[in-house]
Amino acid sequence: MDGKRLFRKDNRVNQMKVWHEVQIVWPMLFLLAGCSVNRDLKVTPPAPQAKVEQVQVEAERPKGDLFVLLPEPDGKTGAIRVTNAGGSQILDRPGDTTRVEDFNSPPIAPQPLDEKEIGSIFAKALSAQPDLSPRFVSFILWFESDKTKLTDPSKKTLPDIMRTIKIRKPKEIHIVGHTDRVGTDSHNLKLSSRRANFVRDFFSSKGIKSGVLVVSFLGESRPLVNTEDEVAEPLNRRVEVMIR
Amino acid sequence: MAHHGLRRLLFFTAVIFFAFSIGDRAFSAAPFPVIGALQKVSGTGFVVRQDQIIPAKAGLEIQANDTLRTDPGGSIGVVFQDDTVLSLGPGSVLVIDEFVYAPRQGKLSLVLRMMKGTAVYLSGLIAKLAPDSVQFVTPSASIGVRGTKFAVKVEER
Repeated sequence: MDGKRLFRKDNRVNQMKVWHEVQIVWPMLFLLAGCSVNRDLKVTPPAPQAKVEQVQVEAERPKGDLFVLLPEPDGKTGAIRVTNAGGSQILDRPGDTTRVEDFNSPPIAPQPLDEKEIGSIFAKALSAQPDLSPRFVSFILWFESDKTKLTDPSKKTLPDIMRTIKIRKPKEIHIVGHTDRVGTDSHNLKLSSRRANFVRDFFSSKGIKSGVLVVSFLGESRPLVNTEDEVAEPLNRRVEVMIR
Repeated sequence: MAHHGLRRLLFFTAVIFFAFSIGDRAFSAAPFPVIGALQKVSGTGFVVRQDQIIPAKAGLEIQANDTLRTDPGGSIGVVFQDDTVLSLGPGSVLVIDEFVYAPRQGKLSLVLRMMKGTAVYLSGLIAKLAPDSVQFVTPSASIGVRGTKFAVKVEER
C-alpha cells in the first residue's frame, strides 16, 4: 500500500519534471544566448550545457543505480524503501544494498555489501560529510501499553534530557508521539497526541518556555519496529524528543 | 513564406527578451530564503542558481531550487536548516527541488533529485517530524526514508 502510493506520487512528479524541462530548455537557451550579447556576463558558459545534460540524462536508457543503507552516527540503523514502477525493496540492516537497472525494472533483493567496498565506492562523498556535532540530539521515552504512563527505565531518562537542555539551551525542542499498532488508527492518533502532550507538560512543569516546545504526533503510522496490524510492540509506544 | 517565418521568429525572440528582463528584476527583488550552507568543499564544485553559476566554497549559503554540481575531482558537504546532512562525491549533480522547514506551521518538505554521481544522506528533523514529506529521487527509483543514513550511486546515463 505504502509503496504503491509512494510510487504513484513520484511517477507523476517525474513525468511533470521531464515535460517541464523539455518545455523550458529551448527558451532558456535563447535567453542565455541573448543575455551574452546584451549585457555583461553574469552567466558563464557551462549554464546551457548543464540544462542540456539534464535532458539527456532523463532521455537515455539507464544502466543502473546502487542504494546502500548505512549505520547512523549514534549506532542505530533506520530503514529505507527503494521504489519504482517495477517494485519495491526495504533495506533495514546496515550495509544492505539494492541495485536498480531503470525505473521499470524492480529493485533487486537486498544483499549485504562489505564495508571496504562501500568505503571505496563512496570514499569522496563520505569524506565530505559535514561536522555532525551541532546537530540535534534525540531521546526516546517509552510508554506502557495504551497509557500515557512512562515505563520505569524511561522515567530514569528524564534527568538526562533535562541535563542536555540545560547545556544546549535549545531554541527548539520537538516532541513527537507514537503508538504501536494495537487499536484503531484514530484511537492511536489520539493516544500519540496525549503521550506527546504528557511530555510537553512535563517540560513546562520544569520551567521550559512553551515557545520552545513543538508538539506533533503520528499515531501508529511510523513504528520503530515494523509489525503487522494489531501486534503489541513495546518499542513502538514512544515519544521522541529532539533537542537543538 | 520564408520571410513570414523569420519575422515570426524575430517577434518571438523579442517577446522572450522582454519577459526575461522583467523576470530577472523580479527574481533579484525577491530572493529565495536561505535553506542551508556548504561545508567541506574540496576540489571544484558549483551551485547553479537560475542564471548564475557560483563556485562552491565552505560557508556558501544555498536556496531551494539550487542545483549542486561537482567536477570529476570535487566533493562538497551540505548542512540544511533542519540538520539534514548531504555530501556529494566527484562528478555529481543534485537538484534541490523543494525545501520547507516551518515546523510550527506544520509545513515541512524536502525533495532531492539526484541526476548522477555519488551521495551520502543523513536525515534531519523533517524526516523525523514528517517522514512522508521527504523524497530522494533518482532516475531509476525513489527512496522512502525512515530517519536514517544511506548512500546512493547514480550511473551516468
